[in-house]
Amino acid sequence: MRPMRQDEALISEALGGSARAWETLVRRHETRVYNFSLRLMGNQTDAFDLMQEVFLGVFRNLHRFRGESLFTTWMFRIAHNKAVDMNRRRRLFSEHDLYAQQDAEDDTDPLDQLTADLPLQDPAAMLSEERSNRDINRYLIALSWDQRLIVELKVFQSHTFDEIAEMQDIPANTAKTRFYTALKKLKDLMEQEHDMS
Amino acid sequence: MTCHKTEFLITEYLEADLSGRQRSILEQHLRECAHCRQELEAAQQTQARLCTWQDEPVPHWNRVPESMLKPGKPRRVSGFFGWQWAPLAISFVLALAVLTNVRISNTPDGVVVAFSDDSGVSEAVLKEQLARFEGLQRQQQEERMQALTVRMEERLDAANVQLMESVVSQFGETTSRSLEQVIAYFEEQRQQDLQVLQSSYQQLADSDYQTVRSVQQLANYVQYQAGSR
Repeated sequence: MRPMRQDEALISEALGGSARAWETLVRRHETRVYNFSLRLMGNQTDAFDLMQEVFLGVFRNLHRFRGESLFTTWMFRIAHNKAVDMNRRRRLFSEHDLYAQQDAEDDTDPLDQLTADLPLQDPAAMLSEERSNRDINRYLIALSWDQRLIVELKVFQSHTFDEIAEMQDIPANTAKTRFYTALKKLKDLMEQEHDMS
Repeated sequence: MTCHKTEFLITEYLEADLSGRQRSILEQHLRECAHCRQELEAAQQTQARLCTWQDEPVPHWNRVPESMLKPGKPRRVSGFFGWQWAPLAISFVLALAVLTNVRISNTPDGVVVAFSDDSGVSEAVLKEQLARFEGLQRQQQEERMQALTVRMEERLDAANVQLMESVVSQFGETTSRSLEQVIAYFEEQRQQDLQVLQSSYQQLADSDYQTVRSVQQLANYVQYQAGSR
């Protein structure tokens, strides 16, 4: 069965109330969404929150998915909107220093707290590729939010400038200029680091 | 030397769906303009560096929303209330009963609940109540312990499967070096598992200690009340 068909079959079963189908659908796409979130938010805690918000949004709107586009395209539209919302909220919270207060009020499972206190769950991720990811995250975090978002959409999600322009409600030329500026800044950051080492 | 076409050229060139004709026009310009060639090369290197990103595994989480779980299935009591406040709440109710001299007796006319009775609370009745409370508490702790063990096992199984997958994907070919790394990974994972278990047992022990302390305080108070009468 083709991936698209598999998604559609799972969506149909999930809409019929199958928890197993929903879980399978989530497992198929969660790594992409989590890594998308990780690159945009720059840390695991926020990335994890964003990923959960994305799938909650997908779950709530699943009945609206008409199959006119790929499920992944539809899902990443939701992911994009959730990321923009979360960034706005984070900015607002950091301005008013409510961030720590909100975290303290979270009602969480003690086991989740235990594992959150530990280092990364997967020891393999402690190897060199994770260091590479950390470097990339550092470069991305140095960009403005708009630049980071456009780099994510262009480089990692392989959208065209027209698609990005439509998603962000900006002219395609603005998207191109923003992307070009971001690339130049990234290049400078990478060169600076290379010179220092 | 700069070229006013550079930005246009690079952004167009990086579009995946360029037509053959568009691409050949851009390539013609690249052959003639050294500045654009350098800039394009730098942009491609930057993109390539970004593309070395290795997907990181997703931490454990509950994928199925509660609304999707079977109707009638009891909602899991959240950790905070279930673990920390239950013993305190029971102690509070019992303490209130002692303070207000509540007496529950089974008479031929039925169960009678009396407040502020002059006869006070009999020590024997209270001891019986405390023994019952202790039994109930022990049973609850055992149930919690079992549930925690099941969840710990599920969690550790998931972590081990994830670890195996990443190890297998990274070291398809078995060499002595990769074997050493596999052993190192498992040792790391074992240390993490031990830490999780240790913290979990500590939490349970703390919860037990809190309960025992609450009951002891209550018992002391009852002894004091009975002695003062």
